Amino acid sequence: MSDISMKPLLLRLRDSAVYRSIVRHGVTDTNLNRSLIIFENVFLHVHPVKVRERTLRFTHTYWLGGITTACALVLTMTGVLLMFYYHPSVPQAYKDMKELNFVVEDGAFLRNLHRWAAQLMVFSAFLHMLRVFYHRAFRPPRQFNWVVGIVLLLVTLLLSYTGYLLPWDQLAFWGVSVGTNMAKEAPLVGEQVRFLLLGGHVVSENALLRFYVLHCVLLPVALLIFLSVHIWRVRKDGGVQGPSEELESPESGEVL
Amino acid sequence: MSTQPPIVLSESSDPLALPRRVALVRPDLRPAVRQLEERWLMTFPHLIVREVILFQIVLIALGLAAIFFDAPLQGIANPLETPNPAKAPWYFLGLQELLHYFPPVVAGVLMPALVVIALVVIPYARVNLTAGPLWASHPRRKAIGIGVVTVLLVALFSAFACWPIVVPTLFVAAAIFAARKGAAGGRLRRRLARVTLPEWIMTWFVVIATILTIIGTFFRGPGWSLVWPADAAVFG
Amino acid sequence: MPDDREETLRLTDDEPSRRDFFSRVGLAACAAAVAGSGVVTLDYLKPKVLFEPPTRFRAGSPLDYTEGIVRFNRQQKAYVVGAASGVYALSAVCTHLGCITRFLSDERCIACPCHGSRFDLEGNVIHGPAPRALPWLEVQVDAAGSLVVDTSVVVPHGKVFKA
Repeated sequence: MSDISMKPLLLRLRDSAVYRSIVRHGVTDTNLNRSLIIFENVFLHVHPVKVRERTLRFTHTYWLGGITTACALVLTMTGVLLMFYYHPSVPQAYKDMKELNFVVEDGAFLRNLHRWAAQLMVFSAFLHMLRVFYHRAFRPPRQFNWVVGIVLLLVTLLLSYTGYLLPWDQLAFWGVSVGTNMAKEAPLVGEQVRFLLLGGHVVSENALLRFYVLHCVLLPVALLIFLSVHIWRVRKDGGVQGPSEELESPESGEVL
Repeated sequence: MSTQPPIVLSESSDPLALPRRVALVRPDLRPAVRQLEERWLMTFPHLIVREVILFQIVLIALGLAAIFFDAPLQGIANPLETPNPAKAPWYFLGLQELLHYFPPVVAGVLMPALVVIALVVIPYARVNLTAGPLWASHPRRKAIGIGVVTVLLVALFSAFACWPIVVPTLFVAAAIFAARKGAAGGRLRRRLARVTLPEWIMTWFVVIATILTIIGTFFRGPGWSLVWPADAAVFG
Repeated sequence: MPDDREETLRLTDDEPSRRDFFSRVGLAACAAAVAGSGVVTLDYLKPKVLFEPPTRFRAGSPLDYTEGIVRFNRQQKAYVVGAASGVYALSAVCTHLGCITRFLSDERCIACPCHGSRFDLEGNVIHGPAPRALPWLEVQVDAAGSLVVDTSVVVPHGKVFKA
């Protein structure tokens, strides 16, 4: 048994009982292990174990859904970090923005990253919707997933809108004032909805706190729920649908 | 059966790399099935690696933007002083531009609601599922129909002096009719001839939304007046 | 087969069985609970006490407002205007989307910076996308004789307070 002591330390760790109780797939590069990596991992098992090669091409979907999701991840990470220095009260919120921009180490970078990721997320969500439309990937059985996608688009816009108020500068305040005044114009429920959203008759501290809760808790949870449904449905509907057969030039390869 | 090659099974990590015949099925003995040959790949590593790379590219691009372009921060919110102009975030500027032409109920509530309803209904409307190239069938009837709709739209939006909608509508209508003579023409015309009616409608909508947003962002200044981009207060 | 089994009444087609009945009662109870929670939550979210500034303010003596005088109270977002027959008050909040208007003394009109709406000194829209005239606000006199304006009370257009 002298070979064992010759093995490098990492290899010995990998063969240890502790490691093997955590990581349940082997390390040799077989299809079994590749399957297990996906299948037995709670985060990765939203993927199917195998995918069609066609769907991996850039021109299949232009990766727009992926870009949107990547932006959502970046926004969550930077958002949580920003929360450590932000109080949703008036006028402290504005002072915190100044502090983030000039005092906090990398504060300006994180804030900028958050803002640009937000713009990109809205933009790529729109582009993703257009891509799905022009590829006609909403046809049965994918109809309801399109509706879920529209809901996701609305949640994204609301996330962006609620976040817009948080810096409590002139841009934020008046942008939101104008928007909520538009909501007031809705017949029957307009005034009520506005009162509920703002927690009052005017944009004030109450509004800031409500928008903060919406932006940091309710809407992200809604996004997570609908995104899970969306991705799950993509999988159950047969995978990512790109250009359909009649849109592409016909592939060769009839198999008799 | 003696002419059959011996069956040798070997293990391989690439399911399609070394095809070995394990059985021969005579084509004349079973129904011919049209099937597109699909190659399947393992999610790990092929898809996972692409996702990781995509995330890195997005993060790097956003990081570069974050380094070189600062997010705006104006003076502290003052409920008593309205900035001039007071602009909404860019994705609502198209809507704010519409507010210039229509009453708030229409531009702020009715139109967005109609847009959302129209989007939600898309996969349930039969025309979206079965549409072929627009001019492939009933060209005369369609020409009249499209002509009438165009005239009605132009009349309606001209009544409100909403030129950012009227002008693109005319251009899109011109493109639709140009596509009619699709077969005889250059590559662009042939490409246009294959466009379906739902695609034309969506294109019309996207063009108008883009133009309204561009005007609202770059060409509106104090008092929502028309200005050149230099005076347009792009960040509100 | 014992005959007493035939004594049980058979269900007609539209009669719910006992199981159906209890299911429905149970479901109705759950629905009522959910609806009740929804109503209570909605009520919780509506603030009952607001810390917004009071809407009544003093505007000086009626004698200060000779014809043509326009005073703008920024805090309260209201114009107090002197007319030939008395004094009246206009809301300074544009009826379009809520921006605060400005009084242009050289042009004798009220203008909104957001979308270019213009109002005359009686609040009527003379230009721009504003859908309604500026509301007239209640003007009273208190015991000491100074004018009191209440921005939360709208009075009919043209109702001038005669001092």
